[in-house]
Amino acid sequence: MASNAATRTAAGAARVVKPLFSRDLDEAKRRVRELYRAWYREVPNTVALFQLDISTRQAKDKVREMFVKNKHITDPRVIDMLVIKGKMELEETIKVWKQKTHIMRYFHETENQRPADFLSRFYQGHHP
Amino acid sequence: MASRVLAQCVRTLARSSARVSGGNLAVRAVTAPVSASHRSFSVISNAERSRVLEQSRVSIVSVWCRQYGDLPPLTLETIRDRVMYVLKLYDKVNPEKLQTTSHFMKDLGLDSLDQVEIIMAMEDEFGFEIPDADGEKLMSPADVVQYIADKKDVYE
Repeated sequence: MASNAATRTAAGAARVVKPLFSRDLDEAKRRVRELYRAWYREVPNTVALFQLDISTRQAKDKVREMFVKNKHITDPRVIDMLVIKGKMELEETIKVWKQKTHIMRYFHETENQRPADFLSRFYQGHHP
Repeated sequence: MASRVLAQCVRTLARSSARVSGGNLAVRAVTAPVSASHRSFSVISNAERSRVLEQSRVSIVSVWCRQYGDLPPLTLETIRDRVMYVLKLYDKVNPEKLQTTSHFMKDLGLDSLDQVEIIMAMEDEFGFEIPDADGEKLMSPADVVQYIADKKDVYE
């Protein structure tokens, strides 16, 4: 029983899958850092080109927030896929295939904030 | 920054032309027509201005030599000063706790993305590309200074 469980976990840990780009976690983290560098260098040009109403610092904080949101992921393939999606976003931003509204969508400006404290939730009501 | 470079250009022009002419006082006046053109820049400090004026009184001999533009040579001291200056400007770094040997992640409590930003600031400061394979290993200001000294062939 215990030996079966041990062999099952050992087999589960040693499962080999076909990688997307990077073979291990270090390589995936290197790709993430390269993507962050590209975004960091691109952000001031974006703010100038699209004539955004935000400061460069706010834009850089937003880039940092998007990267930190996925900080907890450990699977190299998931990281690679996120890097690929980030690269696509970067390409669209650099080549001005996006417009101002697409970039400002990152900032969730027109969405209603969900209430955080008890009274606001009480006033909003409970609609299951 | 630009004014400092301009003042240094005037100083190196004066010094190099004095060197080329063998320190001959009469020939050192070649700086006079050159510095006269620079006199329009108001950024020349008072020391330069007095030197320019006293050199223009000497007779003018036109000996034109080639002047190549380059930055002043790097020393370990200047590299260290510039690295610490850039780090102190970074807002996530506490300038009081910053030492040459302080580790970015352990002592200063920075993130890996913060470390990437710091390496990018060093790239912008020194004007050459630091690849990510090397950049991820630089974890303290001393490492950065050592790496830049290796790349730029600066040694004591």
